[in-house]
Formats: sequence, structure tokens, C-alpha cells
Amino acid sequence: MEKLIEVRDLKKYFKTPHGMLHAVDGVSFSIEKGHTLGVVGESGCGKSTLGRLIIRLLDATDGTILFNGEDITRIKQVKKLRRQMQIIFQDPYASLNPRMSVRETIAEPLTIHGVCRSHKEVEDRVAQLMETVGLAERFADSYPHELDGGRRQRIGIARALALEPEFIVCDEPVSALDVSIQAQILNLMQDLQEQKGYTYMFITHDLSVVKHISNDIMVMYLGMVVEKSETDELFENTLHPYTKALLAAIPEPEIRRDRKRTLLTGEITSPVDPAPGCRFAARCPYAKEQCWKETPALEEMLPKHFVACHFAREINGIMKETENEEKPAI
Amino acid sequence: MEQKKKKHSQLREIWRRLKKNRLAVFGLCVLILLVFLAVFADVIAPYGYDEQNYAETLQFPSWKHWMGTDNFGRDILSRVIYGTRISLQIGFISLTGGALVGCILGAVAGFFGGAVDTVIMRFTDILMSIPRTVLAIAIATTLGPGLTNAMIAVAISSVPNFARVVRASTLTVKDQEFVEAARSIGASNARIIFRYIFPNVMAPIIVQATLGVGTAIILAASLSFLGLGIQPPTPEWGAMLSAARTYMRDYWYMVTFPGLAIMLTVLALNLFGDGLRDALDPKLKK
Amino acid sequence: MMKKNEQNEPLLSVRDLTIHYITDDGVVRAVNGISFDLNHGETMGLVGETGAGKTTAALGLMQLVPDPPGKIVSGSVKFAGKELIGLGKLRMRLFRGKEMSMIFQDPMTALNPVITVGEQVAEVIRIHNKVSVKEAVKQAAEMLETVGISSERMGDYPHQFSGGMKQRVVIAIALACNPHLIIADEPTTALDVTIQAQVLELMNRLQEKYNTAMLLITHDLGVVAEICDKVAIMYAGQIVESGSLEDIYEDTRHPYTKGLFGSLPRLSSKLHRLSPIYGLMPDPTDLPKGCSFAPRCPNRCKACEERMPENHEVSPGHFVRCVLYDADRQ
Repeated sequence: MEKLIEVRDLKKYFKTPHGMLHAVDGVSFSIEKGHTLGVVGESGCGKSTLGRLIIRLLDATDGTILFNGEDITRIKQVKKLRRQMQIIFQDPYASLNPRMSVRETIAEPLTIHGVCRSHKEVEDRVAQLMETVGLAERFADSYPHELDGGRRQRIGIARALALEPEFIVCDEPVSALDVSIQAQILNLMQDLQEQKGYTYMFITHDLSVVKHISNDIMVMYLGMVVEKSETDELFENTLHPYTKALLAAIPEPEIRRDRKRTLLTGEITSPVDPAPGCRFAARCPYAKEQCWKETPALEEMLPKHFVACHFAREINGIMKETENEEKPAI
Repeated sequence: MEQKKKKHSQLREIWRRLKKNRLAVFGLCVLILLVFLAVFADVIAPYGYDEQNYAETLQFPSWKHWMGTDNFGRDILSRVIYGTRISLQIGFISLTGGALVGCILGAVAGFFGGAVDTVIMRFTDILMSIPRTVLAIAIATTLGPGLTNAMIAVAISSVPNFARVVRASTLTVKDQEFVEAARSIGASNARIIFRYIFPNVMAPIIVQATLGVGTAIILAASLSFLGLGIQPPTPEWGAMLSAARTYMRDYWYMVTFPGLAIMLTVLALNLFGDGLRDALDPKLKK
Repeated sequence: MMKKNEQNEPLLSVRDLTIHYITDDGVVRAVNGISFDLNHGETMGLVGETGAGKTTAALGLMQLVPDPPGKIVSGSVKFAGKELIGLGKLRMRLFRGKEMSMIFQDPMTALNPVITVGEQVAEVIRIHNKVSVKEAVKQAAEMLETVGISSERMGDYPHQFSGGMKQRVVIAIALACNPHLIIADEPTTALDVTIQAQVLELMNRLQEKYNTAMLLITHDLGVVAEICDKVAIMYAGQIVESGSLEDIYEDTRHPYTKGLFGSLPRLSSKLHRLSPIYGLMPDPTDLPKGCSFAPRCPNRCKACEERMPENHEVSPGHFVRCVLYDADRQ
């Protein structure tokens, strides 16, 4: 399969009054054409920043982003990129200009890039896009405040699709919506991908949503990737202690008779001038001395399953092939 | 047909809220009356504004001259009516000029930030540290007296207020997600400012403008009063006050009516402006 | 004595509570005749989507509906046998905080930013109990320790705490006077999942310790499964289905409840597509004549559009408001 996006050692630091905030710190991954990568993490893990870096809404501090094999990390003609990469935002209330009608909002990218030759063509294209995302034509002259969250999110999707991009970053597109509407939007996004072959990067805090929609999943914690693998593999063989805790914390809509589970203690801090060592060490039930000293690298511990943890093998009872004899299992 | 309705629904909502505020409606009525007087001054005024009648100088209000006559025998009522034309003209034109410059400066400062912001805002700080009247006097003195120059002086002195209001609103709007969304579809900075920022900071601009017209009228009147603005025989209220001040002790009506006209106009503008602010941003009240 | 009380009289008994907002655009029928009972020490989940009227219902119980434009049109709210509707403002104020208290969704805005958290907890104690300042501070310190905040932090201001910690402070304030009933309005929605799990666990533990009854208002069926004993599902201002946790989760009857479960992506299932509820919540100023859910219901029939369905007891304690269970229909 062809790689559409390839990211190598991407970093983004922000200057804050308290020090350097390492929002994204050395992230590498790739997304294949027509696939969906789910990026999961809690607030402050850098997932939104990562999405904005890739489509060049933010400039990276360091690292490389390849799009279709071309290095786009520092190219100047960002406007050209916009036709190939788009974003769907989290908040359907804040991401639409309240003073522009539905028609104007969807036509805006077409006008900016001059893709249509006549006014009539723009109108036709807008009507077609509205149909694609399931918006009735009678809303064309409505303003965002007159519509509900689900419909607004459809406008946001239509705007992102207008330029027929290859790659779409979806930044928590359903987390502000009610469950019944959330399901409608998720289905719409899946249908679109099947029809047009879009490649998605799906950013969310909700593991059950990414499980549903992604081919691969990447779990982030404080700016770093802690675990990355194919979706089914990740849920079957969860290796990183943080991913395990995240899974355990999700309230499932089922009656669990065995209500026992391990809860994480402590809170998420922010990665301002982080000390070396594993960033999860402070909350990790398995943390040992080594965790406080060395930053664990992302290692392939099972086929196509990458984990950044010094003790993941011991915790999960995986043997390291080369050291089998030297190190007895603990 | 339905499209039309939707387009106006926001305006209608604002109008509905404005209607509830009686004082604002009163202000609006007075303003409409004043505009009417200004436009049809030629028809309404019983005499010409420079029609001198030496047989009837310094007459107290009577049925013939409702507001009396001045030292040249001119009918004060007619002059006040014609004065509406001049004052409103000065108020609106100078304020539009000031608002235009101020809005662009404010939007640019707020949107780009950094050095541009510092330069523009320090400049407006300097302008604001000088009392407005003093500033206007200084500009008017430099440019010389006259209607146009008075308007320029008033316009310049109103720039900093607009720049500040617009900059503050721009700062809050520019961090909203829809501006980022505009950037994500490749909109240029100019497009973002004019299509995304301006329409969303319109409310405070309109309010500031309505309240500003009143101040501008007072400022223009002060300039004329000091002899730096409109020159006689043009019937500007401030100039009328100035001309009448030597007669103030014996002929009270000569200062009273132009003064009342200024007061009523500014009061109407302020009441309307306050009402408009509440109507445009219902969240502020409550 | 206490035992008798518990058997004969629920702690909170709501009958036909109806709340309307009278606005210029018409009468918003937010809550339309809800009835339920809550016993001592029980937790009931009031579940619904945006606009279902659940927050208005809670405000109605506390007599905090903003008036105007809100108006309690009819119904009764009995707390330990005492009618609350029509109770004077002053008496109601003494009631709130001491007998029943509320936890709000957003811990960031529920606390006063210029007063230390210790003082805020102590203040509630002082208002409702005749104790000295010193005693109140002592009790406040104990309360904070109970919710997992070290008493050394009493002198800190709210902004010095993280979101999860602030919610703990809010819980401490709500529990300070040992109320019989807590109304929690989306208490964990603003929090990250790992923090949410901590707070839910804390609420569970404290509730058992103090035997407090709780009304949990939420849109999250997962959270309900974690901590509730009973569930009421709200739609367009009415309770459409109510019963024990088992009744609702394992013997789902109402088409809307079924739709809600079908909309949820789950960790445990491998569904390819979700089955959303089509359409939108009806406009509360213009509710359908018959069943409010009829326009979106897959099982609707003629009767649904003609009249409001009755409330049927399909099994002891399990109520469903749907014509499917009309006796004469079968």
C-alpha cells in the first residue's frame, strides 16, 4: 500500500511564561492511502496540535512531514496544499462564521481557489455538496445559529470536502454532538470514505469511537506516542500501562457485574520543560527507577505493534527474542 | 421569497428587542425628526437663515418668531432648523471618516499583533492622552477655520476610540475556530479581516458610532464656539452660541434654543445608542 | 422509625411536574409532566440528549427555575413528605445546601475565583449550621480530606487546582452539610476519562458512606451503568422509560432507548455500522400532538400520531410510555 502521509520525528514547542511547552515531541508515523489513523489521548496530549501541524495550520519546530512523498514541512505555498488536505473541527458552533449563510460558507473555498468558472457552477457545486452530506436544500440560506449541532457539523464537512482533498484531519468531529447525532455523522464519514477513498486522521479522546472508525490507532500521552498498532491488535493485546488504564476508565453502557478495575491516580500535568524519563511515570503503577531516568523509545514489541515502555515486555510477559536466554522472565 | 425572510430574521430580531426599550425608541423618533428637519429645512423654516430684518432685531419669542430674533434680526427658529443640517452633516461625515480609519487600524493591530500592534496602539495612546477638545483645537488651528477642516479635526480625534474598540473585539474574534477554519481553506489575511472579522465586530462599532456622533456634534460646536469651526453666517449651533454670548445676560433665548438643540440631539443619540447596544448584544443585559 | 420512613415514603417524590418557559417566540414546553420516586441512598440516572429538559427538571426540583421566563405550571415535588412547590424563597434557601445540594457540570465556573477553597467549603457549613468559624474550618478540612484533597491546600484558590481537583472541591461543598439528596448535573462531562473514572469512584464511595440519595443527570449511558441503581430516560420533556438498571440495559423496551443504545459505538462489539436514530429532537415550542418521538420512531403507527401514549408498567417497576404496550392493542 502507498503511504499518503509520512511523519518523522515531528516536534512542536510553544513558548509559555513558565517555560517551553513540548506539545508534540518526536512523533513519527505514516498513514496509508484510504486508511484511517485514530489518534487518541486526553486533553493536553498534543493530538490537536499534531493534526494542525500536518496540514500546516501550525509550523513545526523540527521534523519532517511527507505528503505523497513530497516534503511539505517548510514549503511556502500553503494555499496549494489546502486543496489536498482539509480539516473538520470539533466545535460545530465555533467553527462556522455566524454571519455567513450555509451557501456562502460552503462556497467560500470554491471562490477562494477559483475552482469554478461561473457563478452558476458554484451554485451547482454547493447544491451537490449539500446533498452529499445530507443537508436539505432549504437550509442553503439559513445561518448557523438557526441550525442544530448535527446539521452544523454537516456544513463543516461539506466545506472540507468542497476542494476534493485527499487527506482530512478530523479533530474530534463528533464529541460535541448528542449520541444519536454522533452516530449519524460517523456513518456519513464512513460512507464518504468508502465512496471517495478519503484518508482520515481521526483525533479523539474517545477510544470507542476510534475503535469503530480506524484501521490503525496511535495513543498519545503528553506529546509523545506511547502505543501504536492496528486497531484490533491494540484492543486484543493492549501493552502500554496507559492504554490499559484508558480502556479501564471508559464507562461502558453495560452492566458490569465485576466492577473491579484499576484506576489511575494523579492528574495529567502539562509537558513544560519535561525532565528526561517516561512522561507517564508519575501515574504509572509499574514505574521503576529506570522510568524516571530514561525516555523509553517506541519499539516494535509484537509484529506491527509499537510500544514506548521500558517494562511493557515484563508486564505483558513478552520475551525479547535476542535476550531470551540471558534474561529469565520476571 | 423564503430566502428573503431568512436573511432579515437577524435584523428583525434586533428591531424587536429595540422596540421594547422606550427611551431608545424616543431617541430614534427624535433623530428621525431631526433628519427630517435637516432635509426639508428649506420648506419648513419660516425664514431664510441669513434673512436680516433690522426692524425686528433682538425680539423675544413671539407668535411671529417662536424663538425670537438675534442682533441682526434673523429668525432664531429658522437658524436652529438650518443648523440641524450643518450639525448632523458634521456629526455623520466626520464620524464616518474617523470610524473608517479607526476600524482599519484597530483590525490590523488586533489581527497581526506584534510590532504592528505596538506601533498603532502606542500612537493611539498618545492621541488619547491629549484631551479630545484640546486635540481638535490644535488640529483646527493648524488647518485653519472652516467646515471641512473642522470635520477633519473631529474625525482625527475620534480615530483612537474606534481603533481601541475594534482591536479589542478583533482579539476575541480572531481566536475563534471559524477564523482558523477560514485559514484552513486558504483564505488570505485581507479576506479573513473583511469577511470573517469585520462582520463579527460590527455590533460594537455601530454602538460606538452612534454614541460618537453625539460627541462629534458637541466637539464641532465647541470648535465653532471658539471661532475655529464654522464661520458666520452659516447657522451652526456652536457658532450661534458663540455669537450670542455677549447678549446672554439680557436675551436668554438667544443661547437657550441652540443649546437645547445640541442637548436634545446628543441625548437622542445616546439613548438610541444605549438601546442599540442592548438590542445587538442581549447577553450583556440580564 | 427510620425503617418505616424508608418503606412508606420515598425521599423525593415528583408527580406530574410541568415546567414551561414563556418567551416571545412561544411557550417552550421544557418539562411535560414527569413523575418519579427516589428512595434514601438510591442513585437515579436521568438520561437524555440536549434539549430533553433534564436540567430544567433538576432546577425545578431545587426551585431554581429562572422566573421569568420559566414557570412551574403544575405538579408536586415532595421531599421527605414535605411539598416544596410554593414554599417561600427564604425557606427554600435554607433547604438548599442543607437538605439537598447540587453539583454542576462545569467546575471551572461553579467556584468563586477570589475566595480560597477552604473558605468556600467552610462558608456553606456556617450558613446552615450554627457553628463557630473555627469549627467550620475544621469541618471543611475534614471534608476536603474525604474527597481526596490534602488540607494543606485549603488556602489555595480555585485556579491553582486542575479540573478534576476542582470537581472534588465542588463535591466537598455539596456534601459539606451532609444533605439527604444530591442533584448532580453532568458532573464529569467536562473531565478527561481517567479523571472521570476517579471522580465517579469517589462519588460512589461517598454516597455509600453517607447514604445520600443522588439524582444524576447525564447524557452518558456508560456513566449511568457505573453508578446508578435506577434509570429514567427523558425525551422532549417526558420520561419515556424508567426502571432498574437491569430493566433498561437488558430489557430495553422503548424505541427511543433502543435507538440510544444502537447509536453508541462500543469497545466490546465489532459492529461495522452504527444504527442511529434518524431525524432530530422536536422543537419544544411546537411538540407533535401525539407521542413526541413518533416522527423519528421506526415502529410508529397511526395511534402514535393521534394521542399521547399511556405509561405502562411492563414489569414491576419498569415503566414504558409507548403504544406498543397498550393492553387493548394486543
